[in-house]
Amino acid sequence: MDLALLLLQQGTTGNPAPIGVFRFFAGFVLIITLYSSFLGFTYWISKDE
Amino acid sequence: MPIGNLDVPVIGKNVVIAVLVQSHILFATFIIGAVLIAATSEYLGMVTKQNNYERFARNLARFVVLLFASGAALAVTFVLALVTLFPVFFSILQNIFFWVFLVEAFMFLGQIIIVYAWYNVWDKLAYRKSLHVVFGFVAGFFGLMAMTMIDAVASFMLTPAEVTSQADLVARSFLNQTMVPLNMHRFVGNFSYAGFLIAGWAGFRYLRTTREDDREYYDWMGHFGLLWGFGFLIMQPIIGYGYLKGIRESSPDSFNTIMLGDKSWVFNLLVIWIAVMSIASTAYFVHKLRFAIKPMETLRKLSVGALGFTALFTVLNIIPADADLIPQIGLVFGQGEGTQIPLGSMYPWKYIGLIGLILVGFFVVALYLRASATGFYWGRASRWSQYALMACSVAVVLTMVTMGYTRETARRVDNNPGYLIHWCVKLDQQIVSEKCPTKPITEGKGG
Repeated sequence: MDLALLLLQQGTTGNPAPIGVFRFFAGFVLIITLYSSFLGFTYWISKDE
Repeated sequence: MPIGNLDVPVIGKNVVIAVLVQSHILFATFIIGAVLIAATSEYLGMVTKQNNYERFARNLARFVVLLFASGAALAVTFVLALVTLFPVFFSILQNIFFWVFLVEAFMFLGQIIIVYAWYNVWDKLAYRKSLHVVFGFVAGFFGLMAMTMIDAVASFMLTPAEVTSQADLVARSFLNQTMVPLNMHRFVGNFSYAGFLIAGWAGFRYLRTTREDDREYYDWMGHFGLLWGFGFLIMQPIIGYGYLKGIRESSPDSFNTIMLGDKSWVFNLLVIWIAVMSIASTAYFVHKLRFAIKPMETLRKLSVGALGFTALFTVLNIIPADADLIPQIGLVFGQGEGTQIPLGSMYPWKYIGLIGLILVGFFVVALYLRASATGFYWGRASRWSQYALMACSVAVVLTMVTMGYTRETARRVDNNPGYLIHWCVKLDQQIVSEKCPTKPITEGKGG
């Protein structure tokens, strides 16, 4: 918990507010979600041929 | 004419563009690399008469044809989002790169047509195999040309050339300082990325299949994919160094941000992924050499030594320079930049690490290829060797995401100010006219 707070606190030397950190990880999760779901879908439509 | 400033709730418009472009690139890079690998495999099948090459090429071609829709849909959505959310920035890019974008569109069209034709006439041209192989390579060529066009735009955004005339605008903007190294970096990266993904997929299928012939095929496919993946990966530090050198010479502040400043953690992250790929690949090679048809105990012992050196050099690359790890989220220890970490400095340790990694990489690939020439017993690989392949495929995706973030964040330079086109258009789309290579209509003679 302490580490989580440390990771999310407003930077000691940096600039992003917590919303910036949230957006960074939200973007990453969205990229991986889009990528894996599109790949999975393509595999699903191709496997029975 | 006033243009409204649209934004996207919760995640913001910058993240929307990042998500769409990065997802698109993950598909586009795979498609270019996979088409070229599949065409090469088809050619190898034609020459060697080994069925694995033909089976692999055909399956991969089918997957690429089906995957094309996802990559293309993301590209269209991305352009739509860019026009809507960053209209001023996009207008300026179009103003400078009209012909480049037009050529790219036609290259994209050519690639679609030829890829579909290539897969569709597979049986029809079964007796004219040479011609059919050419189809695959032409499709790959169109893909590479489309990539070259967009690389001109992407590199220009980071290192725009000084332009004094209309002729300069085309030539010097296209061939800006980092265009050629970026293009080389991505050319090699296509093969490496696609190779690792193919290897990871083969590892996954190998572990799930119950048929003996499929086990042999997927074992071979993992080996073939990893040769592409790791073989091209070990070229990347040299080309990447050339790219960074271009950035340092033409945009020193960006270089300082991503290599020495607040965002240098992205390179620490990158070398962690490279360490995973290098160690997993070398370990796979060591394991595979046990199954060489002609026993090669000396080669295997040498490769065990190579594995040790790979681990040593990759760890040397990972050590951060100082305790100012990720200042953006407060991950700072001791005195921050004032606390130097032993063996962490760029010179000489990182250079030793990277050069050592390349040399050991070439050495172990040469050993492995030597053993490959006599063949392996397929279908006997252990489970952990397949997990190593899958780890490589996860790490290569993370490498792509990390590298994409690095290049785009390099223009931010502590956000004071951050640029969309370096020294020309700021993040809020305000135009900084002094160094801008093109004048907006409102400031020029026209309008």
